[in-house]
Amino acid sequence: MRKTADIVIIGGGISGVTIGYFLLKHGAKNVVLLERDYLTAGATGRCGAGIRQQWGAPLNCRMSQFSCEFFENAQDELDYAHGIEFHQGGYLMLATTENELEQTRKNVALQNSLGIASKMLSPEETKEIVPLLDTKKILAAAYHHKDGHLNPFHTTQAFANAFKRLGGEIYINTNVTGITTTQGKISGVDTEHGHIATTIVVNAAGGYSQAVAALAGVDLPLHSERHNILVTEPVEPMLSAMLMSFSLNFYCQQVPHGSFIMGRTCPDQPNDLRITADSSFLEAMAKTITDVLPSLKNLRILRQWAGLYNMSPDKHPIYDQIPQLPGFYLAAGFSGHGFMMAPATGLSMAELILGLEPTLPWKQLGFNRFQSGELLLESSVV
Amino acid sequence: MRISEHPILDLKRSSPVKFTFDGTEISAFDNETIAVALHAAGIRTLSHSVNKHRPRGLYCAIGNCSSCVMIVDGEANVKTCITLVQDGMVVESQKGKGNLQ
Repeated sequence: MRKTADIVIIGGGISGVTIGYFLLKHGAKNVVLLERDYLTAGATGRCGAGIRQQWGAPLNCRMSQFSCEFFENAQDELDYAHGIEFHQGGYLMLATTENELEQTRKNVALQNSLGIASKMLSPEETKEIVPLLDTKKILAAAYHHKDGHLNPFHTTQAFANAFKRLGGEIYINTNVTGITTTQGKISGVDTEHGHIATTIVVNAAGGYSQAVAALAGVDLPLHSERHNILVTEPVEPMLSAMLMSFSLNFYCQQVPHGSFIMGRTCPDQPNDLRITADSSFLEAMAKTITDVLPSLKNLRILRQWAGLYNMSPDKHPIYDQIPQLPGFYLAAGFSGHGFMMAPATGLSMAELILGLEPTLPWKQLGFNRFQSGELLLESSVV
Repeated sequence: MRISEHPILDLKRSSPVKFTFDGTEISAFDNETIAVALHAAGIRTLSHSVNKHRPRGLYCAIGNCSSCVMIVDGEANVKTCITLVQDGMVVESQKGKGNLQ
């Protein structure tokens, strides 16, 4: 294991590998990525993998627009033989209450003003896109044809390979046990396999970012929530669009392989970083989904698992340097949408760390907003 | 090929039933599974692998391996090794991963 590095990234999920890739692309040298388990072991490999530009806050719209365009061209940029399985089959957000309908209309108007071609659909038009759908509870839906879903494992590997081609080094099965400081500045990282001297550490540890920050004595305004998800046996393709509804509390997609992947938010989840499976989720999820897609009633569930949403006070990520500890950077608090925002995360963090001009409005995503109270509220998180 | 005598078990044949497999009529007994009745009728290929389309025969016979899935009365992905035959049942071999009704 190397003894020194210019920059050490902690976390081998999608955020860590994109940050590493963009840092090297923009001229950084000697960048090392440390992962406790294996790439995608955390929230990245556990996520629903939806990609959407349909948000209720302008900043999320901008970040996701950039990310979606990046994914469209990722094959060329990352040169990954297998492909990242970006399926742009559209994304439907189903509204079932008057309040939700009003909010959905506002969101679509905002998205349209930012150049996102989402639109409102009647229940009949929605059923044309998803013939399996039972529309009895649905008042209307918002739809964007360029949204969809993506394979998180291949996407992470594609970035990791590109990072390594540019000279980056990845150490998996390498737990960070300490972060060392000298005169109030970052001086290195202790791992179970040795010490790496560095002046810059990037905390991209997702659901564990608070625990990593605590190693340096930093208290973050973040907490992690356990979210459950399941996968079914594969069948022939029959659901092209991704489905989501806040009021019905679910999201669902069919991956290219044919399996359905679905999740919902469950009450009374532990807040101690446990990611054990929750049996009550299975029953609630089955009820929810068969109400909306009745033909799934005989589909077998293969397995379920859970992962962590890293929640910030305003459901927007934090991209910043820790004010009291120069050299300690944070990209966390994605609140359940870190995967789809990853290219924006990578570029923004590279620009922040290397002192480059912002391509995206990441300056709004600093710690300042918590002191000034200028929170960036987002209505569209499930 | 059916066992007609057993040293310990008393084999009482239940009433005969008929079902069709890909249009061909097959005779069975009503306490047999579909896969067993097909095996007794000499049918060895129950499905084909999804990617390379290689033939798949009776394998686990306890509902785990999915080697015997077929379309039964219109429903795809039925594990025929744990599904009992019924008189008049329409059994079809399945191509691909199956469609939901």
